[in-house]
Amino acid sequence: MSLSTRHPSPSPTVPPPVHPASAPVSHPASPPASSPAADPVAARDRPPRGNRPSPAAVALAVGRKALGAVFVVWAAATITFLIQVLLPGDRATLLLNQQTGQVQERTPEELAPINEAFGFDDPLIVQYLDFLGGLLRGDLGISYTLYQPVTTVIGDQIAPTVVLTFTALAIAWVIAVVLLVLTARRTPWVSRIFSGLESAAAALPQYWLGIILLVVFALWLGIFPVVSGSGAAGLVLPALTLGIPLAGFLAQVMRTEFERTLDAPFVLTARARGMSDGGVRLRHVLRHSLLPGLSLTGWAVGAQFSAAVIAENVFARPGLGRVLVTAVNGRDLPVVCGVVMLVAVIYVITNLVVDTAYILVDPRLKEAA
Amino acid sequence: MSTPPSPSAPGLRTTPRTPRLPGPRTTGLAVLTAATLVLSACSAGPGTGRGAGTDPDAGPDQAALTGAAGAGPVQGGVIEYGHLQEPNCIFGGWIQENFTARQVLDNLVSHTEDGSVVPWIATGWEVSEDGRAWTLRLREDVTFTDGTALDAEAVAYNFDYWLDGGNGTAAAHLGGFYDHSEVLDEHTVRIHLSAPFSPFLSTISQSYFGLQSPTALQSRTDEENCTEPIGSGPFTVKDWKRGEYIEFERNDDYDWAPQNARHQGPAHVAGIRWNIVPDNTSRYGSLLSGEMDAIGEVPAVNIAQAREDYDFTQYITPGRPVVMSLNTQRGIFTDQQVRQALSFATDREANVASAFLGTVPFEPSGYLSQTTPDYDEDAAAEYPFDLHRANELLDQAGWTGRDPDGTRTKDGRRLQALVVYGLNSIITPDGNTVIQNFQEQARAAGFDLVLRPGTPSEFFGGAFSTPESYDAQVGYWTSPHAGILNINYRPSTEEAPNGANTTFLDESRVFATIQSALQAPTPEEVTERFSQAQHELSELAPAIGLYTQTNTLAVGGDVTGLWLDPAQGGPVFHDAHFTSQDARDASGTLTPDTADIPDTADSADAPVENED
Repeated sequence: MSLSTRHPSPSPTVPPPVHPASAPVSHPASPPASSPAADPVAARDRPPRGNRPSPAAVALAVGRKALGAVFVVWAAATITFLIQVLLPGDRATLLLNQQTGQVQERTPEELAPINEAFGFDDPLIVQYLDFLGGLLRGDLGISYTLYQPVTTVIGDQIAPTVVLTFTALAIAWVIAVVLLVLTARRTPWVSRIFSGLESAAAALPQYWLGIILLVVFALWLGIFPVVSGSGAAGLVLPALTLGIPLAGFLAQVMRTEFERTLDAPFVLTARARGMSDGGVRLRHVLRHSLLPGLSLTGWAVGAQFSAAVIAENVFARPGLGRVLVTAVNGRDLPVVCGVVMLVAVIYVITNLVVDTAYILVDPRLKEAA
Repeated sequence: MSTPPSPSAPGLRTTPRTPRLPGPRTTGLAVLTAATLVLSACSAGPGTGRGAGTDPDAGPDQAALTGAAGAGPVQGGVIEYGHLQEPNCIFGGWIQENFTARQVLDNLVSHTEDGSVVPWIATGWEVSEDGRAWTLRLREDVTFTDGTALDAEAVAYNFDYWLDGGNGTAAAHLGGFYDHSEVLDEHTVRIHLSAPFSPFLSTISQSYFGLQSPTALQSRTDEENCTEPIGSGPFTVKDWKRGEYIEFERNDDYDWAPQNARHQGPAHVAGIRWNIVPDNTSRYGSLLSGEMDAIGEVPAVNIAQAREDYDFTQYITPGRPVVMSLNTQRGIFTDQQVRQALSFATDREANVASAFLGTVPFEPSGYLSQTTPDYDEDAAAEYPFDLHRANELLDQAGWTGRDPDGTRTKDGRRLQALVVYGLNSIITPDGNTVIQNFQEQARAAGFDLVLRPGTPSEFFGGAFSTPESYDAQVGYWTSPHAGILNINYRPSTEEAPNGANTTFLDESRVFATIQSALQAPTPEEVTERFSQAQHELSELAPAIGLYTQTNTLAVGGDVTGLWLDPAQGGPVFHDAHFTSQDARDASGTLTPDTADIPDTADSADAPVENED
């Protein structure tokens, strides 16, 4: 994903998340960038290579991260559960009304079988423990409205959403990096124009952008299908819909750092060594500006999951976004919890990956950790 | 995942089956087609006569003519249809589930455009003297796609199933009337009611009363019955990729279409891909680009163009139109004069015309929509826009004070009302505009209407279902007959609460009139009593008519023969076919089962597992 745009890229594109078994050896064993000696960042103030943190310290750090991850997932599940249960309105009434398209009051006789079937009458703590117990067993329950196991509902829909969000992320990174390398600190008007374009892109409402892309590329030019479905050709417009605004954000946060770094003494040194402008930008300057971009990426993955529903609706794509919106409207608790926890897990994993990527990009952090 | 046309298709059972013509069957088919022609001729055009088929050779009758001429409609191909909302299950109590059920399940009887009922699975019927026992004779050759016979036992089982939680909407219609079913012989069933119910046949023509295989209902899981109900209809559910499409595959054994179908025998097309395209721009765009052969719910802004360029049909749903129900139990609308005043206070006709760009008809009646049999135009027209009259009524009712903002007051109370409605779940954005216009116009008479759009979970959760929770509520309820008045105006009692009475009106006189209509022995008397009920309701003014609930269908030039089911307005694909061999060949195929274990020969119509 993100790092694939780095040049050159000797390390694995996606660094493995920190893992107890591999952590103590994996980082030092994979030197981050091409030429540490030529990179002032890598070389500066660095203790000798042998001076690594002890395995115990690493294990502790990893354990702390893992615990944190579990906590995040648990908290997400619990909060979702509580919100769904405590929202005003009776859940059995909701189910019955949805099944008939009515919004009326229901009699206890009508509601009794539903309450019985789903356990809505049980004390809250019992419902909560049942719910947690199910989670531990990997049983997310059965959807109230679709009569399918939540794992099936999610399993059917996860692939299109994951493909969409990560393609959008990749597109955003490519656009952002290309823009930066080509336009930062060029002739003032060039920089200004592109900086302005980035702001504009970041401010684009995704729904509007999606409709414009649809009308231009699918309806007028006929290059892409209107109804995207889950096919490959149908991925382009939805991914651009999500990727272009994100590219604007990414480029903006990275541009400041990029331009600041262009003024740094080591850049002058590199130039003095006869390094080409492109080489300087790609090998030295870009790396500095990656850090804010990476931070943003950690957030963006979660955000893309929720934004996906817009692209899914406009382009008639299947996906978790639509499932989630429908489930929230119908208070289909098992599905809502399932999706929220899934997003939490993906969010946690992404952040672990991003943390690791920081260390790869900026070796100073390794010692700090 | 994508569905490329597969060149190696011959080995797959999903390929469009080669036309069964020629053969001995063809002649029979042609004769049958000719026979149905006579029938379809009197019900010219789908919808309600308001349909505007502009494509000269796209009318269903034209299609039937072509069929009778000898060449026969093009066989095979998969129709791409774009639909707004995805159902939760194929069969259920929601209107969206009614639409999908219509493709897979058959009903006992079928509703025609002129409001009459014609044979389908039931070939004939009679009602007892006291109106409490309906005897239905069934076709003898019908089987469900799992091989179970559709006989009297199966029908009796289905009645019990619908009323016993199998379909909430079916229960709302017949609950309180249905008593039990009696199997007289293998092909005769008698339905016993606890009281006469004149719109019985019309009621069971809705797909909420679609017949399912009792074997399947009893032996399969809820999930299977939800996603792949087993009926005897023209199509079976082949695949359902939630969020993307539902695929229906032709039932090759189908030979029992309703009498008002345009042809008998299996469907012409090999299948339908029922695509879920929620965004308006995309849905209409997919028709423009040719990706869809037909779409439903044409966006209001595109209707004028769709009338020009496509075979366009608009269906005005019978039953309760979109009305503002006024709370007669609590608040300012307990006073009949105030209710009447609000009915006079705004120019609803101009309001609806502007909000919907003239594409959706205004409905003056607060009780029945104009396409409902037994609709009374005079009763509907009793509240024209008359601001002067509105002011008079409010003065008489004692609302003579004025607050600085112009709102009338009485004994320190403001003439204020909370109007609730489920935005985007029940009321469309255009409908929202109507309500906002209404609010603005009502100010002139001194009303302060406070609008409160609600979320689906609030609404369906019952947050606005009690007399304490609102002064007015906006909603509709589709029904093929005026018996909907019984659902909406039966007074709620301790023993038999009626949550569907959203005005909380408790008038025994109106209720008695409605009951007499349901029990009247002749159609003329039914009409007379329902007219009386509409006049009585109009006098009481518990509801204000806004606009009709409509369904629209736009069909491109490659396909013809689609019509909208007169009972509920869903598209019927059984008679649809491609207009040319080329168009057929250019259509896609259903998702191939290449990854599956090859199906055995006899399993073509067996339930297909959702493997992905």
